[in-house]
Amino acid sequence: MTRLGSGGLIDRSQQLRFTFDGKSYAGHAGDTLASALVANDVKLVGRSFKYHRPRGILTAGAEEPNALVELGTGTRREPNTRATTVELFDGLVASSQNRWPTLALDLLSLNQLLSPFFVGGFYYKTFMWPASFWEKVYEPLIRRAAGLGRASGLPDPDAYEKATAFCDVLVIGSGPAGLMAARTAARAGARVILCEDDFRLGGRLLAERVEVEGRPGAEFARSVEDELAAMPEVRIFRRTQVFGTYDGGTYGALERVADHLLAPPPGVPRQRLWHIVARRCVNAMGAVERPIAFADNDRPGVMLAAAVRTYVNRFAALPARRAVVFTTTDDGWRTAQDLIAAGAEVSAVVDPRREVPDSIMAPLARSGARLLRAAKVTRAIGGSSGVKAVEVAQGGSLLRIEADGLAVSGGWNPQVGLTTHKGSRARWSPELSTFVPGSLPEGMRVAGAVSGDYGLSACLRAGHDAGSAAAQDCGFAAASPDVPRAEDEPIAVAPLWHVTGGRGKSFVDQQNDVTVKDVEIAWREGFRAVEHLKRYTTLGMATDQGKTSNVVGHAIMAELTGRPMEDVGTTVTRPPHLPVAIGAFAGRHRGRHFKPTRYVSGHDWALRHGATMVDAGQWLRPQWFSAPGETDWLTSVIREVKTTRLAVGVCDVSTLGKIDIKGKDAGVFLDRVYINRFSTLPVGKARYGIMLREDGFVMDDGTTARLGPMHYVMSTTTANAGKVMQHLEFYHQVVWPELDIAMVSVTEHWAQYAVAGPRSREVIQAIYGTAADVSNGSFPYLACREIMLGEIPTRLFRLSFSGEMAFEIAIPARYGESLLGELLREAVGRGGCAYGTEALGVMRVEKGHVAGNELNGQTVVRDLGLGRMASSEKDYVGRIMAGRPALVASDRPTLVGVQPVDSKQRLRAGAHVLALGAATTAENDVGYVTSVVYSPTVGSWIGLALVKGGTAQVGTRMRAYDPVRNGDIEVNLVSPIFVDPKGERLHG
Amino acid sequence: MVERGPLVLRPASAIPELCGSVELSRAWVLACERHPQLATVIAYKGRRADVAARLKDRYALSLPDGPRRATRGASALIGLGPRSWLFQRETGPALEPELSEVLGDAAAVTNQSDGYVVFRLTGPRVRDVLAKGISIDLHDRVFVPGCSVGTTCAHIGVILWRLEDANDVSVFELAVFRSLARSLWHFIEESAAEFGLAVTPAC
Repeated sequence: MTRLGSGGLIDRSQQLRFTFDGKSYAGHAGDTLASALVANDVKLVGRSFKYHRPRGILTAGAEEPNALVELGTGTRREPNTRATTVELFDGLVASSQNRWPTLALDLLSLNQLLSPFFVGGFYYKTFMWPASFWEKVYEPLIRRAAGLGRASGLPDPDAYEKATAFCDVLVIGSGPAGLMAARTAARAGARVILCEDDFRLGGRLLAERVEVEGRPGAEFARSVEDELAAMPEVRIFRRTQVFGTYDGGTYGALERVADHLLAPPPGVPRQRLWHIVARRCVNAMGAVERPIAFADNDRPGVMLAAAVRTYVNRFAALPARRAVVFTTTDDGWRTAQDLIAAGAEVSAVVDPRREVPDSIMAPLARSGARLLRAAKVTRAIGGSSGVKAVEVAQGGSLLRIEADGLAVSGGWNPQVGLTTHKGSRARWSPELSTFVPGSLPEGMRVAGAVSGDYGLSACLRAGHDAGSAAAQDCGFAAASPDVPRAEDEPIAVAPLWHVTGGRGKSFVDQQNDVTVKDVEIAWREGFRAVEHLKRYTTLGMATDQGKTSNVVGHAIMAELTGRPMEDVGTTVTRPPHLPVAIGAFAGRHRGRHFKPTRYVSGHDWALRHGATMVDAGQWLRPQWFSAPGETDWLTSVIREVKTTRLAVGVCDVSTLGKIDIKGKDAGVFLDRVYINRFSTLPVGKARYGIMLREDGFVMDDGTTARLGPMHYVMSTTTANAGKVMQHLEFYHQVVWPELDIAMVSVTEHWAQYAVAGPRSREVIQAIYGTAADVSNGSFPYLACREIMLGEIPTRLFRLSFSGEMAFEIAIPARYGESLLGELLREAVGRGGCAYGTEALGVMRVEKGHVAGNELNGQTVVRDLGLGRMASSEKDYVGRIMAGRPALVASDRPTLVGVQPVDSKQRLRAGAHVLALGAATTAENDVGYVTSVVYSPTVGSWIGLALVKGGTAQVGTRMRAYDPVRNGDIEVNLVSPIFVDPKGERLHG
Repeated sequence: MVERGPLVLRPASAIPELCGSVELSRAWVLACERHPQLATVIAYKGRRADVAARLKDRYALSLPDGPRRATRGASALIGLGPRSWLFQRETGPALEPELSEVLGDAAAVTNQSDGYVVFRLTGPRVRDVLAKGISIDLHDRVFVPGCSVGTTCAHIGVILWRLEDANDVSVFELAVFRSLARSLWHFIEESAAEFGLAVTPAC
C-alpha cells in the first residue's frame, strides 16, 4: 500500500472492494479506479495499442491516454474506460485490455521486435496489394493484434435517455474560475447550470495545497457548492461532461447517472444525454498538462507532475516513494514540494532551464534532493514493473539516478476544444507557449486556465468577471463584486518538446504509439501539415484525441520544418470533446421504440382474433388473421380472399389518411390539386382522384367524397397521408391564399372499416337497422352519407378496392373496437371473416388496382392506364410537366398483368421482363414486375408489371427473369384486371 | 336480413395498459387520461373578428393570439395557428353541432374528440419528466399557466399547455393523436419511473 496515513478527500470509513485482472483490492469512497490502483501500488495497468508496451497511469483526468480498462462483465462490459475518471464503487470489476494471455506476460509484445516495420505509414505502404486482401486478410489481422478493448457483443441491459435543459448562464467546469462564475451569475439572479465532469466540485482546488480566503482550497470549494446548492435557480450537474458546442447556444453534455453504481437502480438510466440551451456560457474547462518526449518516457511510473500532486493531495496515495521530477515549468517544482510534504523522497529535480527563481528552489534546499539546472532526462530506465532509475544528461555527463517514479511537467494545454467546434481556430500564444482560444462561439466566454490564466487568484477573478458579465448580458444587475483572496503561484514555462540522445523510443502520443521518429518520417515523406501528420501517423486519434500529445507533436513538426508554431497551427477538433457511448445518442429509442408506433383502435381486437401485425410506416396493421389450425400465412390469406369474394370480409382501413376540406372554394381547390374534376361532384357522392407532383409524376391516389355543399372528405394512401396534407397546406398557404377553404386532418378521429363481398350489404344493413336504407337504389356504388347510429355520428361510403360490392363505415375512434366486433359478428353469421393487408393486396392486384408499388414516383397516369382521368378542361398541379416529351413517349412502360404459363410456377416481384430468347442483358430489359400475389381466384401466382408498350403487348408471351432468386419463367402478358373486368360486382 | 336487438357500441380507451406503477404516496409524478370534447375551429377568410365576437358573446372566451390557452368555466380555447384553434370542453352537450351553430359561416368546425387523447401530468417532478421529451423551456416564469405550444415529445407530435397550479404544484396537459397515445404513454412511464409514477383518475 502507498496510502498515506492521513489527508486526502477520501472517506476512510468506507472501504470499497474491487478487482483488477481478477485480483482483489480495496479502496475508499472518494477514490477513482486509478487512485485506488496507485494506492495499491499497481503500476502496470495496460498494454499499448501497437507495440503492446507495458503502460501505467500517466494522468489523473479525462485526458488519460494509457490507463484504459474494461469495466464490468457480461452484458455490462464496457471497453476503453479511462481508469482516471472511473469513480470507485464496491464490487467494481476492471480488467486490462489489449494483452494475451495476461498483462504481465503479453505474448503480443513480440510486436515490439517487429517495430521497425510498424512506423508511421506502415499500413499504407505494406498492405497495398492485392486490393481484395485488405478487407478479408490484412484488416482482420491488424485489428486482432492492434487495438483497444472488446465490446461485449451482447444487448445492453441498461437504459439511456435524452433531456433538454435551459438556463441563462451555463458554466462548464467547477475549478476556481467555474465556481466563481457560477456563484457570481447566480447571486445576480440568473438561472445557472454548472457542469462538472468529476463527481466532486473543485477542479484543481481539490488537488493542490492552496488556500482561498485563508481556508484550504477544497474547503472553499465545498462552501461555494453549498451556497449554489441552496439557490433554487441553480442546477449542479456532477459527473457531466460537456462535449460539444452547437448552434444557437446549444451545448451537448453527457451525465453519467449511474456509472458509479454496480447497476442502475430501477427506472434510472445509466447515462443521460443533455441538450443544454444557454443564453450565455462561461467556459472554465481548465488546462491539461503535457508531457515531454524522451527515451522510454512511456514506462509505468512516469506520470505527469500535476497528476502526481492530485494523487498525493486529493487521494492520499503516493505514486512514487522515491521520485525524480523533470520539469520545464515553475509549476513542476511544486510536485517535488508536495511529495516531500507527504513523506516521499525526491532524489532529484531536473530542470532544463539555466535560471530557476530562488523562490521555488529555496523550499527544497534542505530536502536532500539534487536540484539539477540545465539538465534533461534522457531516458527512463525500467520495465513492466515500473521505473527503476532515470538517466539524466547535464553538461557533458550522463547521470543515473535511482528512482521508482518520474514526474514530468512540460507546461499546460488549455482545453480549447469547445471553443473551436463552431469553426474558429485556436491561437498560438508565444508568451505562454501554448494554444489559447481564438475567436469564441457566440455567447461563450472563457475564464481561468482555459484562456491561459493559470494563477489561482487570476482564475478566481476571471471567473468572477465572466460570471458577472454573462448575467448582465441576460439582463440581470451585477451583484456587488466579491473576489476571494488567494495567491498567484509562479507559472513560468520554458518549452521543451523532446529530448534527444537517449536509447529507446520517445513517445509523443502514447495512446497511438506515435514516436518522435514517426513524426520525422511523416516530415520526410511530405506529410507536414498537422492534419496530414495526424492521418499519416494517427497522432491525436482515438479516445483521448491527443489531449496530451497534439501540441508536442505539432511543435516537433515546427522544429523540423523550421516554421513558427503560429504557422504550423494545430488540428481542428470536432465534437465530441470526450467519447460518448452511441447508446446515449439513441436514448430510449431502441427496438420497437426506435420510432413511435401508431396503433389503430382495433389493435387489441385484431390480436385477440389471431392477427399477425405488419409495420406500415409508423402504423401497425393486421396482415392476416390465422384461423385455428392454420400455420402458414398463405393458407390464411387464401381463405380470407375466398371468403370475401364468396360471402363477406371485414378489413380495418383506419390508417388511410382522411382530410376534411371545407369552405366555399373547396371544390375549386380540389380541381386544382387533382387531375380530375371534383367541383361538379354531387353531394352524397364519392369519386376516385389522382394528384400529381409538380414534376408531373403521380403523387397519390384516393377517393374524395362530398358530404355537403361546402364539405369534402379526402382519403389518401396510408403511406402518403402526411405528405399529401403538407402538399395541400403548401398550395393553400403559399400559392392560392385567395381561396377560402379550411383543412384539417381527421385521420385520428375516425376509425374506418371496409366491408366487402356479395353479402356486405346485409352486414351494413344489420348494423344500421332502421337508421338507414342501404339498398342499391337508395345507396348505390360511390354513394356517401353521414348517418347517426343512435347518438353516434358515422359516415358511410360505398367504395371498393377489392372489386366486390363494398362499403366503408367510419365511426369515432373510441367506438372502433366495439364496431369491429359487431361487424365481424354479423359477417361471421353470413359465412364471412376478417381480412388483413395481405388479402387486401391480393384482391387489389386481382382487380388491377394500382398501389404503392406502382405509385412509386416514377410513373405518370398514362403508364397506369389512367390517362383518361386527366381533365383537359382545367389546370392542375403537374399538368405542364406531365406533358414533357419523355413522359408522353409511346414506348414508356405501362401497366399490364402477368401470369405464369405454367400455373404451378412462382412469379416474383422485381423480376425483369424480357422477350423470349433474348439474352439477359440490360439492353433487352423491357420492364419489370411490380406486384405479385397468389390469386386463389385465378388459381396461380399473378402480377402487375410495367412493360414497354404494355397494352399493345397483351397476349404475348415473355420471360420473367429474376437473377436474385434464380427465377426464369415464361409468362403471358394479360389484362391487369383478372377479376370481373366489366365491374358488375361493384354495382351489384 | 338477420333479426337482432338494438346495437350497443361501447367506447374504449386508447391505452388499455394505462395503470399506476407505484403507490400514490410515493409518486413524484401523477398522470391521468382525460376525455374532453374537442373541436378544431378554423376561421374562414377575413372572418377572424366574427369568430372572436361570436365566441366572446356565447362563451365569454377571448380568442388567443398565438400559442396561448384561454379558459372560462369548463371551456377552453387553445391557439394552434394563425387562424385555427382547438376548442376544449370537459362537459356539456355535443360540442361540434353546438359550435357549428354558434360560428355559422364564419369558421369551419371539425370534431376531434376522438382524434386526441389528453394526458394530465402533475407532481413535483413533472418538469423533469417532460424535459426528457420536450425541448421547450417550461420554467415556472417562462411557461406560465395559459401558455400552450405545439411541439414534439420524444418524436411524437403533441399540443402541450399549462393549467393553473393545484396546491402550488404545476399542472400540464398533453394532447396527442389517439394512435400515438400508447407510444407517448410508454415515454411517460419510462421517463417517470425513476421518480415514481402514479395513475389517478383525479390528478
